[in-house]
Amino acid sequence: MTDNLASGFIHPRTVSLRHLWARINLAGVPVLVWLLLVVLLPNLLLVATSFLKTSNGVILLEPSLTNYARIWKSMGFWVLLWRTLSFSFLGCVLATCIAYPLAFYVGRVARRYKTLLTVLVVLPLWISLLMRIFAWRIILGQSGVLNAALVSTGILDAPSGAFLYSPTAVVIVFAYISVPFIFISTMGAFEKIPRDLVEASQDSGASARQTFMHLIWPLTRRNLAIGFSLAFLVTVGDFVTPAMIGGIDGTTLGVVVSTQFGFANNWPYGAAVAVALMLSVGLLLGAIIALTPAKGVMLGEEAEDSSPPSSGHKQYGYRFGTAGVLAAILYLYAPLAIIVLFSFNSANLQIFPLQGLTLHWYQELLKDQSLLEAAQRSVVVAACVVTLSVTLGTVFALIVYYSKLKGSRFYEMAFALPIATPGVVLGIEMVLGTELFGIPSGVMRIVIGQMSFVMPVTLLLLLVRLRRLDPSLMEASLDLGANRWQSFVHVLFPMIRGTIVAGAFLGLTLSADDVMVTLFLSGGAPTLPIWVFNQMRFGFTPSVNAIFSLLLFTCLLVVGLATWRNAVKPTKALA
Amino acid sequence: MGTPQSNHVLSLEGVSKTYDGAQKPALENVSFSVKPGEFFSILGPSGSGKTTILRTVAGFEHPDVGKIVMGGKTVNGVPPFKRDVRTVFQSYALFPHLTVRENVEYPLRMRGEAKAIRSGKALEALELVEMAAFAGRLPHQLSGGQRQRAALARSIVSRPTLLLLDEPLAALDLRLRQQMQHTLVALQKELGIAFMYVTHDQGEALSMSDRVVVLDEGKIAQLSTPREIYFAPSNEFVSRFVGRSNLVPVKFETAEAGVVGKIEGTGVPGLLAPRAGPARMAIRYEAVQISTLNGSPHPGTLRGVVEDVLFMGTNCEVNVRCGALNLIGTVPAVRESTFLVGQPVQVSFDVQNTQVFYD
Repeated sequence: MTDNLASGFIHPRTVSLRHLWARINLAGVPVLVWLLLVVLLPNLLLVATSFLKTSNGVILLEPSLTNYARIWKSMGFWVLLWRTLSFSFLGCVLATCIAYPLAFYVGRVARRYKTLLTVLVVLPLWISLLMRIFAWRIILGQSGVLNAALVSTGILDAPSGAFLYSPTAVVIVFAYISVPFIFISTMGAFEKIPRDLVEASQDSGASARQTFMHLIWPLTRRNLAIGFSLAFLVTVGDFVTPAMIGGIDGTTLGVVVSTQFGFANNWPYGAAVAVALMLSVGLLLGAIIALTPAKGVMLGEEAEDSSPPSSGHKQYGYRFGTAGVLAAILYLYAPLAIIVLFSFNSANLQIFPLQGLTLHWYQELLKDQSLLEAAQRSVVVAACVVTLSVTLGTVFALIVYYSKLKGSRFYEMAFALPIATPGVVLGIEMVLGTELFGIPSGVMRIVIGQMSFVMPVTLLLLLVRLRRLDPSLMEASLDLGANRWQSFVHVLFPMIRGTIVAGAFLGLTLSADDVMVTLFLSGGAPTLPIWVFNQMRFGFTPSVNAIFSLLLFTCLLVVGLATWRNAVKPTKALA
Repeated sequence: MGTPQSNHVLSLEGVSKTYDGAQKPALENVSFSVKPGEFFSILGPSGSGKTTILRTVAGFEHPDVGKIVMGGKTVNGVPPFKRDVRTVFQSYALFPHLTVRENVEYPLRMRGEAKAIRSGKALEALELVEMAAFAGRLPHQLSGGQRQRAALARSIVSRPTLLLLDEPLAALDLRLRQQMQHTLVALQKELGIAFMYVTHDQGEALSMSDRVVVLDEGKIAQLSTPREIYFAPSNEFVSRFVGRSNLVPVKFETAEAGVVGKIEGTGVPGLLAPRAGPARMAIRYEAVQISTLNGSPHPGTLRGVVEDVLFMGTNCEVNVRCGALNLIGTVPAVRESTFLVGQPVQVSFDVQNTQVFYD
């Protein structure tokens, strides 16, 4: 995703191939239809709704500024806005402190374990957000792991209630969620800095600090800003964490919006808050991007690992780095491990020491009819979402790349907009959109809602891949006597198949995991994450641990399969 | 039959092309023909339109004006896969997911040939370029030179009437490049396929071709045999671009013996011209004779001082300052350098090998 933002121009040679495909220019129509219905319309509806008002829970169709006046005058709103932005900002800053050095280490120092470390840091993105939040509840709770540890070591006399339900807790969890985003986007930048640039800097007499300030930082700051923005958008749109972890002082605007579309049932006010939130976030991120200018384009190939490893690996700094990486990995995985551990614990309470080994909580799951229904629904939804998204995403990517659509950059931005929309806002936008077309709550709505962000992911992944292909490969195929269809089947498809499969896997986890958007669309038909979310809100059973553990294993299996698939196939140096 | 066109595998007739958004045309009224079995080169600096010609012939670009005629038919609108032309791409464009043999079989497979036949033909083509031993490899397992040969085999396996080569040697090192030049010429003679070879390297163009067209900013500067182009460039651009030449201002004055040329005020014997006036004389380095100066210079020679000497292997290039003028000449390289920097010399010209261009 970030790569796409950073990737540059289109090779001039492709222009002629576009001529060849110009005949299918009519195919640009579906692209426009999608953008109109799934991107433009929901956004317009949101803005339009924010200018309506309600009376006794019924929306009145007359324009008014009531909501904005209410926002403007409400002290509460400004406090919440400040809090929302600062939670996300502090969370992302904290995550940057962890992820930026980590990315430096993995991208430039670690050689042997580079791939493994990358997978380890990014893997949590694939693991249920609910599970990650829930894990922190177990750690920070009054009878939680942290308190138990502090009391048993004598630091505290009695368990403290100060950890959970506090702004600090929200910031910690936001940071936890943000680390992989910031890592993955800065890691790319660190990797791409050729070794000889660093050597040239040292050669020019720059100290390590000077090299960082004048070379590394300017070349990586834009990617950091992009990762930061992504994480910021994700956390700002996250109403689950504040609701589960934050308590009263930890409430954010996301929670306000979700309740307005939930039991408070004041859609226009909720829409107005959402619009105000989007504007503030837009301003803040715009400023961050503006403060991190990226000048010039890196020439030549990406840094290959052909040069010999620099000497002095066994230095003090190297050991320090290794220790840091291990600490970061611990931070990322300890919460997950705790959940798995407790899922086999026979006691009803989430406290150490563990009582005894049991599979009781897993058996419990099998008996729960509503859970099985939810799981089944999740599978159906995921299958529909992935199939449709991958098909549409592939077709749209080919259209955007090969047909002469004017301003393909603009199309890309438009496609990416739902990904960049905070979850809670996208969720209500989709409610408004599907409501307009009379699509009932349930599977249909969920599928459409989830496709709004899964389809762009597959599309953008594929576009990046298409841009990296040597354009003369398709020309060579045509030149060798294959017509366009044959060229697609025999040349293009085999080369993009891997990306399509990767997009499908990613879409699968995105769909199976989603709470933010799905919550608004499911009505009485929850998917698995929604069912779990409801369980967590209305009382807790250790069965939740068991579900999460199962989800974790499934997810590890999927990622493992995907990695294995890539590893088995011969690496394609020319591709 | 019997029309002039049918003697040619390819004719361009007044082809012009301007890219979308470009100010200057990439091609301007370009016309030439390629004979069957001919080694035809397109030579020009980057941006002169040579790749555009190649892509227009292959069918990836379409001319704005003019006709592309192949086998007696205008093929302007024919898509690339229906033209009897194959291209060797500069990047080789080997399909990364197919083995060498599968790559070579590809055009036959697209034509729907039976498996046994196409595998035989593919091996035959691979043997021609001495790549049969690598048939089972994937492209990334090959060296640059081997990739080049595999790409070549793939383009000749279906025996097209015309093969287009887009700077195919650009990515190879010097030794491989020289080897491949011999391979290409031998292959072309053996197959009898017309080659259209695009390059900016004058050495390649001159050494391999039957005929060369020199392009300058989308226009044909000269179309002739390599020897003609080298020894009798028809304009300043060609003389500057092909070979290594001095461009010397000459003043032609009327005298008793006709019009005599003067360089730096010294009359050059044998340098005659049809009319008086200022002009420039193109003279190759090897036609500039430099000898040591003892005493006063011979009549008709220029007096100068050696500014620098470059050792080129088989010969040396000596840069001599004559008044306001710098002249470069080559002398055979010997073990002990005969010319030292600062040494006074005299310069004379082999006027047989000069071209004169009036302003």
